[in-house]
Amino acid sequence: MSDTIRTAGPAPTGEGFGRILVAVYGLFALAATARSGVQIATKLDEAPLAYLLSAFAGIVYIVATVSLARGGVTSRRLATMAISIELVGVLGVGAASTLFPDAFPHATVWTGFGSGYGFVPLVLPFVGLWWLRHTR
Amino acid sequence: MTGSYATAITVIALMLAVWTLVLVAMNRSPGLSLLAAGGVLEALLVGFLIGGIVQMVGSDHHFARAEFVGYLLACLAIPPMAVVWAREEKSRSGTLVIALAFLLTPVMVLRVQQVWAGPLV
Repeated sequence: MSDTIRTAGPAPTGEGFGRILVAVYGLFALAATARSGVQIATKLDEAPLAYLLSAFAGIVYIVATVSLARGGVTSRRLATMAISIELVGVLGVGAASTLFPDAFPHATVWTGFGSGYGFVPLVLPFVGLWWLRHTR
Repeated sequence: MTGSYATAITVIALMLAVWTLVLVAMNRSPGLSLLAAGGVLEALLVGFLIGGIVQMVGSDHHFARAEFVGYLLACLAIPPMAVVWAREEKSRSGTLVIALAFLLTPVMVLRVQQVWAGPLV
């Protein structure tokens, strides 16, 4: 793989700074999926919306992680889609949970624009989209 | 889930993080000595997992047990995963990934302790 000569096409998205970006995405993939897995398995009836939303976020992070790590034309398209959904998700859920806090008693990764995770979930999609542009 | 053992893990992980960040700043690849020191941390984390599960089984207080084991496993899994992912990288970004993993270890240890202490408010 590392022996391939890259003559044309986009730069790899999983190397250099991308190595760090994929690691952070992977961490959120792990955190969101594992957390929602436990919650759905043990107490889905408590807050089905929040836990299913966490699971959805987890899937989005997994797709973003894998496609950024792989690079290539199709993976870039997939990464752009996943990260765009992530951006809409964190802005939408962030705004909704700020405006209607009563509707979101159980936290997800995206609640309060990711305030429970040092606002990294808010910054991450912007960095991801920038990186995809930068390596094009 | 207490005390000096968790503190030792935290201190060692932070020392390893500083060490790795120095390597990043100097643009040097991690050598065998760093990997060996990381191995010591991993051995301590195996002990943390086993000790945690033994304490959990022997306790009847109410807390989120699945989450507890999940965080214990995350403690153990994150540094080796970072090393594997960083290995193919030629630039210093790979070294920074390893540094981030060491910085994350104290956070994970803290989460283990928080889950042990009881439900989040």
